[in-house]
Amino acid sequence: MTTASLLLQQLINGLSLGAMYALLALGFTLVYGILELINFAHFNVFMVGTFIAMWTLEGLGLSGQSVILHGPALIAVLAAGFAVTMVVTGVLGVGIERFVLRPLRDVKGPAAMITTIGVSYVLFNVILLFVGAGSQNFPNPMPQARFNIAGAVIELREVLIWVVAIVLMLALTFFVQSTKIGRAMRATAQDPEAARMMGVEVDRVIMTAFFLGSALAGAGGMVFGLYYNYTSFIVGFTAGLRAFTAAVLGGIGNVPGAMLGGIVIGLIEALGSQFVGASWADVVIFSILVLVLVFRPAGLLGRVAPNKS
Amino acid sequence: MSAVTAALARPFAAIPARQRRAIGLALLILAVLLFPVVHNNDADIDSMANAAAYAMLALGLNIVVGFAGLLDLGYAAFFAIGAYFYGIFTSFQVMPAWSPLWDPVAALGLVQKINQGGPDLVHFTLSFWLAVPLAALVAACCGVAFGAPTLRLRGDYLAIVTLGFGEIVPIVARNTDWLTNGAAGLNGVQPPRLFGWSFGIGATPYYYTGMALVALGIFISVRLRDSRIGRAWMAIREDETAAGAMGVNRVRMKLLAFATGASFAGATGVFYVSKLQTATPEMFGFPVSTMVLVMVVLGGMGSVWGVVLGAALLQLLQSWFLPDLTSWTQALGGALGVGWMQKVDFTQAVELIFGVVLVGMMLFRREGLIPATRRPPALSFEAQHVSGVQRGGFVGAERIGIRRPEPGGLALEVKGVSVHFGGLRALEKVDLVVPAGGVVAVIGPNGSGKSTLFNIITGLVAAQEGSIRFEGKEILGLPPHEILSCGIARTFQNIRLFPTLSVLENVLIGQHARLSTGPVGAVLGTPGARAEERAAVNYASEIIELFGNRLTPRAQQSVAGLSYANRRRVELARALASRPRLLLLDEPTAGMNPAETLELAEQIKSLHALGLSILLIEHKLDVVTRLAENVIVLDHGEKIAEGPPEVVRRDEQVLSAYLGRAAREAANA
Repeated sequence: MTTASLLLQQLINGLSLGAMYALLALGFTLVYGILELINFAHFNVFMVGTFIAMWTLEGLGLSGQSVILHGPALIAVLAAGFAVTMVVTGVLGVGIERFVLRPLRDVKGPAAMITTIGVSYVLFNVILLFVGAGSQNFPNPMPQARFNIAGAVIELREVLIWVVAIVLMLALTFFVQSTKIGRAMRATAQDPEAARMMGVEVDRVIMTAFFLGSALAGAGGMVFGLYYNYTSFIVGFTAGLRAFTAAVLGGIGNVPGAMLGGIVIGLIEALGSQFVGASWADVVIFSILVLVLVFRPAGLLGRVAPNKS
Repeated sequence: MSAVTAALARPFAAIPARQRRAIGLALLILAVLLFPVVHNNDADIDSMANAAAYAMLALGLNIVVGFAGLLDLGYAAFFAIGAYFYGIFTSFQVMPAWSPLWDPVAALGLVQKINQGGPDLVHFTLSFWLAVPLAALVAACCGVAFGAPTLRLRGDYLAIVTLGFGEIVPIVARNTDWLTNGAAGLNGVQPPRLFGWSFGIGATPYYYTGMALVALGIFISVRLRDSRIGRAWMAIREDETAAGAMGVNRVRMKLLAFATGASFAGATGVFYVSKLQTATPEMFGFPVSTMVLVMVVLGGMGSVWGVVLGAALLQLLQSWFLPDLTSWTQALGGALGVGWMQKVDFTQAVELIFGVVLVGMMLFRREGLIPATRRPPALSFEAQHVSGVQRGGFVGAERIGIRRPEPGGLALEVKGVSVHFGGLRALEKVDLVVPAGGVVAVIGPNGSGKSTLFNIITGLVAAQEGSIRFEGKEILGLPPHEILSCGIARTFQNIRLFPTLSVLENVLIGQHARLSTGPVGAVLGTPGARAEERAAVNYASEIIELFGNRLTPRAQQSVAGLSYANRRRVELARALASRPRLLLLDEPTAGMNPAETLELAEQIKSLHALGLSILLIEHKLDVVTRLAENVIVLDHGEKIAEGPPEVVRRDEQVLSAYLGRAAREAANA
């Protein structure tokens, strides 16, 4: 491969990774925008999502890469996989909010954040105990279709990832911008007290944010499985940290920022792996996280948040 | 249950609390010393030595998380740094070529010349006893280097950055084969030697070394907690802005907490690696950081003995209880012929238990098993009325040593100060003068910029232009703690005390900038540090006594439980404790009833009588008339009038600003 086509190939890979990170980053941003809480449980809601997706696809009769579907059957199976996964992780997120985080909502200090770490740890170990430590073969019904562009290869699964990510992000943008509850979310993010006094049901808004964020993490989990063809109990940690970096890079609390940040982090990972070495990719990404936080804490698209204290 | 414990406790109640504590400590030390003698089981002694390592880590993290309130999720990184430091300098991993320059180092016993069938090489042979303090120092330096850019971040961002750092260090260890032997791990790490005797592989010497380290860790933690340093950390934890305004150099104190915590981890790393004689990147990952956090949360954030207990409990859970429970269940399953019970393994679930402990403690017992603070119960009605409430000004306020300024001088001079928040002009070219020993009041409708003016004078908000001189010295642009050091102290409109700290501790924090004890003095308990602490407590008590029966009987209570008026009084006491020459009072009587308002007004008057300069924001005009010599009126960020109270009261512009034009015309009619 020439350097140019290598670069193009890594751009394609980076966009796919980036689409996945963006889906995950949106969950961090939605919750942070409203509660100013870093939700570490999100890491492993995503991980659980990969398993839900796997079990759903297996429940639909797929196993490994042996069953290949075409046309409407393929679309129906994938749509069912996404729908079930998103609903289950969405409900999981709402459950975490309702039963664990809501009692701590008015507690000052790091209590809520520590609790999310605990929840994350519980999810992680539940999967570890009941599934085991080995990698699981993730079913993939997509045919091996490839398109060659200037020496680089685009696979069908990558096209699927882009389509899914774009559709979900457009849907989320429409939801936040144009629906009543979306408007209530934006109002609550700016000033929960004032929103409450204007009749916004803040509890419902927060639950909605958790549902949407966790559902997107579930979609991200399905995408992860289809992209890598495996899953394991440990996949939440690295992907979660990268997605969080993406959210911060874009400007945490900022929905388009999370999408942009996800794409940028995906590109950095792909290009960094190619040109610096895969084992250093995380060092590069975390260095970016630190630099952004230190020099531009509002992120690429964020503005300096008004002081809520 | 409580009746039983009460009955058991009765014989001990006769012993004074101090002696009771000393006896308990002596018994504990005896038990720790005798354990390996009585219980001669190497595996159990080894478990206890591991527990000691984790207790050290928990003590260190407790300084960062519990004292200073900085959530560090990458704490294991410093553990790794200490471990690899010792590992690299005692193993055969790194062997540079020998040159005569190494001779003096060899004479100190730090290196040996060896030959493995080639050129002569350097073999590092760093002594364990030297490595412990050195690794602590190295880890502390790494803590400072890493903390300096990141500690300015908000607390929740810090958590994620430390998480990233905690992830990077093992990756670097894995990827730098030449230094760390990568994922395979560093082998051949030397055990400690004491007077030529090697510790070898038996658990007992490590047990005693570990326990000695824990004892040292507890000692340092307690000494720091009860010092000026510990109070400053807790102030930052409770209210960072108020801590800065009360003279705490926040960046320096946070760095100190970070470095101290890191040094504990560095020293523990040396101990742990010397015990295992190997170091792999997996030993220092996120699960370790989480486990130490669980220990701190379980024991009680900020509670020194609590975190030691938390570490011991979790370590024993892992190494004793769960294996025992597993074998019991399996035996029971065998006896009953239940298949799944014979295969059950509870040790696999230890991390799940950690997660559940973390969530459960946060939901049901946030203060941990041994809470950091125990406050005396609220006063009974009788205790509240032991003596009559005093009215009128402070009696004996001259004892707190307010110096009378030279007459005719200027305390504060504000010139042409403007502040814009985006398009909003909060202040526009405001001028203001407080004569030395004078009282000036700032009044104006809500949103007119009064509090912004205070925030600029005290360095909490940056001004776009202008100049602020205090006693002739430019203070605009100085950080809040330096402005307090200059002699300006303030109170806040919406009271910003340190809620879980006691009245006395709040007032002591006010003195922070006037005291000089550093971490070393505090730990060593030097005569100078002890004398300073005694004097500080005496001075704080004198100030509290000025408020008579209002505060004196409540000195040990946490301020969160005080009445609104009493909290205002504590804030005033805290400001006075910084020995200010200019006092900024932001609506000091807000929320007080008329009697309390009058009382406070008289107290302020008596401070003025001693020569203290005062700048006051106040809505109650009778307070303003009673106290102020000069009144400044702000409206929409601009000064619209200035003069003696009775003149300003009748000013046309002031009337329309406050009441609208119709009311002004009605007043004139």
